[in-house]
Amino acid sequence: MSKTKAAGTTHYEILFILPNKFTEDEAKKVMDKVGQLITTTGGQLTHNEFWGKKKLAYEIKHNAYGYYGLFEFDLEGKLLAAIDKNLRLSADILRHQIVVKKVKSAEEIARAEAIRAKIDSKKAADKKKEEKEKKASTTEAPAKTKKADDKRVDLKDLDKKLEGILNAKDLI
Amino acid sequence: MTKKTKECYFCVNNLDVDYKDTRTLRRFVNFYMKILPGDRTGVCAWHQRKLATAIKRSRVMALLSATHK
Repeated sequence: MSKTKAAGTTHYEILFILPNKFTEDEAKKVMDKVGQLITTTGGQLTHNEFWGKKKLAYEIKHNAYGYYGLFEFDLEGKLLAAIDKNLRLSADILRHQIVVKKVKSAEEIARAEAIRAKIDSKKAADKKKEEKEKKASTTEAPAKTKKADDKRVDLKDLDKKLEGILNAKDLI
Repeated sequence: MTKKTKECYFCVNNLDVDYKDTRTLRRFVNFYMKILPGDRTGVCAWHQRKLATAIKRSRVMALLSATHK
């Protein structure tokens, strides 16, 4: 925060919805107009996205569909109100939202990458563990069949014993 | 519906909460589109606060519905 304040500008992100009455080309032209508005008031565009036509989660002024556009820009804080007012009064824009976007410093990016690397290595280790366990379970499987064989043998023995007992009873 | 998890989804996966990422946000909202409490989502308190504002922002921009209708 202190860095951006020293520079005098803040990094903002604006997302806006254009009504369904436009064709896609017209919507793109309106989006260019929004971009021009930002640059003429003293902003610097750093990123733009056009999402195309999307279904809105609820109707806005009887529009079930709308075109989404997104800009990222650097601007002095006191100039933001002018852009906001201009867009609010514009009939070509259904709705817009300006949000302060945090700019990641080089340190933070490096830290995030380090954490990501750690996570990846941990995931890889977990996978290896799972594979090992799988292998262990496959080696266990034949052992189980052997046990089953043992049981069969037991059954045969039981049968023999039973026969022996029955014969003994007959004798009595 | 999210299952009960002990670890914070955003901390574990090293992600930032983004109000445009509706697919992720949808996981932290119930059938009636109400924001789930932190003890249900398993998200840490710091990220739960970011999550709540992100869901509200996406509702404003009609990315998420405010009701289930």
